[in-house]
Amino acid sequence: MRYEIKRRSGQTSVYYQFQFEKLASGSTFAGVIINHINYLISYNMLSKRSLVGVRSNFHTLAVLFFMLIGMQAFAADPAVESGDEAVAAGKALFNTNCKTCHKLDQKLVGPALRGSTDRSGIESVKSFIKNSAVVIASGNAYYNKLFKEFNGTPMPAHEFLSDDDLNNLLSYIEFGDVVDPSAAVATVGADGAAVATGGGIPNEYLTVILGVLVVVLLLILVVLGLIISVLTKYLTKQDLDADDDEFVNQKTDLKKVFKSDMFVVIVTALVIALVAKTALDGLYSVGLQQGYAPEQPIAYSHALHAGTLQIECQYCHTGVEIGKSANIPSANICMNCHTHVQNIQGKEGVSPEIQKIYDAVDNNQPIEWVRVHNLPDLAYFNHSQHVVVGEVECQTCHGPIQEMEVVGQHSALTMGWCIDCHRQTEITTEGNAYYDKLVQVHSASKDALKVKDIGGLECAKCHY
Amino acid sequence: MKIAKTVGILGIAVAGFSLASCGAGGENQGLEFAPQMYHSVAYEPLTQITDFETKGDLISTREDGKGEYFNSNINNPHNMNMREPVANTVPRDKNGYLPYRYKAFEVEESASTKNPIKLDDAVLTEGKRLFQLYCTPCHGAGGEGDGTVGNIIGGVANLKGGAYLGLSEGHIYHVVMKGKGRMGAHGSQITPENIWKIVHYVKQDLQGGQNADTAVAEVSDQDVTQVETPAN
Repeated sequence: MRYEIKRRSGQTSVYYQFQFEKLASGSTFAGVIINHINYLISYNMLSKRSLVGVRSNFHTLAVLFFMLIGMQAFAADPAVESGDEAVAAGKALFNTNCKTCHKLDQKLVGPALRGSTDRSGIESVKSFIKNSAVVIASGNAYYNKLFKEFNGTPMPAHEFLSDDDLNNLLSYIEFGDVVDPSAAVATVGADGAAVATGGGIPNEYLTVILGVLVVVLLLILVVLGLIISVLTKYLTKQDLDADDDEFVNQKTDLKKVFKSDMFVVIVTALVIALVAKTALDGLYSVGLQQGYAPEQPIAYSHALHAGTLQIECQYCHTGVEIGKSANIPSANICMNCHTHVQNIQGKEGVSPEIQKIYDAVDNNQPIEWVRVHNLPDLAYFNHSQHVVVGEVECQTCHGPIQEMEVVGQHSALTMGWCIDCHRQTEITTEGNAYYDKLVQVHSASKDALKVKDIGGLECAKCHY
Repeated sequence: MKIAKTVGILGIAVAGFSLASCGAGGENQGLEFAPQMYHSVAYEPLTQITDFETKGDLISTREDGKGEYFNSNINNPHNMNMREPVANTVPRDKNGYLPYRYKAFEVEESASTKNPIKLDDAVLTEGKRLFQLYCTPCHGAGGEGDGTVGNIIGGVANLKGGAYLGLSEGHIYHVVMKGKGRMGAHGSQITPENIWKIVHYVKQDLQGGQNADTAVAEVSDQDVTQVETPAN
């Protein structure tokens, strides 16, 4: 509906433009509404009154709208085609070449594009798309101002675009994908609601199921109690022989039970077993740091970076394939993204945690991360050996890092833990000439060639 | 007799439960047996103990009188253990590559640099793997600028877009190495050899080979046969 009106007003755009020239350029919302109203007014009034009256009405209304909404209307250079084919062809071009930096009606990396032909003229837009650096160097005031406004971010040259391509692109920019603001708001709202309800369902179900189970069990208990009392009442009224009578009227003597040898022996055994187990567990945990999860100077979340955003571990821990340690990234690696990302999505301002990176970079001050995994000095471990040659996944030893908000030590890192893995891990020997002789020597054995067979249990491999 | 028994049993129980609290968790590193074996006296990567004074729970055997576990380098800024290379020295890797000499703004000069890695299938496979490690977060698996991180940062180049198809391999290498526009410099993360492999993959697989290096450049100092020093 609205789209159609826009199109019709587009066809008579010369007239409207006369009215809006001074005010032109800007966002869809105001533009569509104003065009809409203009259209209705002109449609109703032109038939009855003179043009002069209509004009003054236009003007006051338009100004009123501007004051109320505070947005600018846009218009297009009349030379831009608005046909469906041109718009479709332009959309394809836009998606491959422009999408990552520009949106039609919002600022992204670069300015919102709709209305640009009107703001600076169709020819200068074309030359800017083709080679922006030349236009800026030529001293074009409008583009120089824009360039400054967007922090001097240069736009790559697009010399390969033909004139037809450019025309189509501009058609899409001016007339493509007109957003209906109310519809957009509605979908966002619906999405939000869906997300909100989506998370909680399984938990609620669990509690409900548990609650129902407890109620059912209680009911069964009550019913059983009732049955017992009814039966005893009935039996006491009957004539019973001595044995049965004793059975019905028996009373459990709690004191006797507590004092019985059996009870004392069982309880003592249980207590001793429990104490022994905790003591042994405690002794085994001496010198182990499994579960150690210290607070870090920056509340960095692996769950967000490695989990949600799926950044590979090696992107930051670059040493893991070339050295002994998988190094902690220095601040310049953080800055690859955090130059641009200053807060969690959708929040304004600079996050205090991200600010710490900026401070570190500005003051040339290292961030003092707390080391989590500590091997004693007596053991040698090399990351590159395990990751490159052994092709061990990071998570095999470090656990589900991509789910950890705060990183903790997942594995025990004891010698037994190392040896276990060396005993079980088979070696991929195919296509690696290094192993040829080892495979040959090993071929008499029934078992597959494992790390233990090529020295994985030798003391001096790790202790020297 | 009875009292002695009770005391004995209680003692065992108390010892058991106090031992149970030796385990690590949260901020607590847990009880260490022979801590002198855990804390390296020599410089350790990624850790440094700057505590000058604490002598530790046991008898310290240090001769310099510093804290028992102190292992920082007092001569470095921030007592760091690692040092920057000596000024005005030139590192070479085992392929004989010299450091990349163009500055970040010298994009046009860099365009003439030739890819020193010979193109073959193994290089392309490795290039693809490296691309997935270092580039996909922003540029997306297909290089179309639609990675999960790229969507947040915005303004990520679509490597299959017309503006990028004709770029020379030297240009791509330069941008990965030094950064350009919104992209940061990745020279500290990826070795030069690996960047050239990524460049091969981008040129051949993603961009269909347009303006690729056909002739493989000679490494300027190839005649310098490097005696490889074995890494320990």
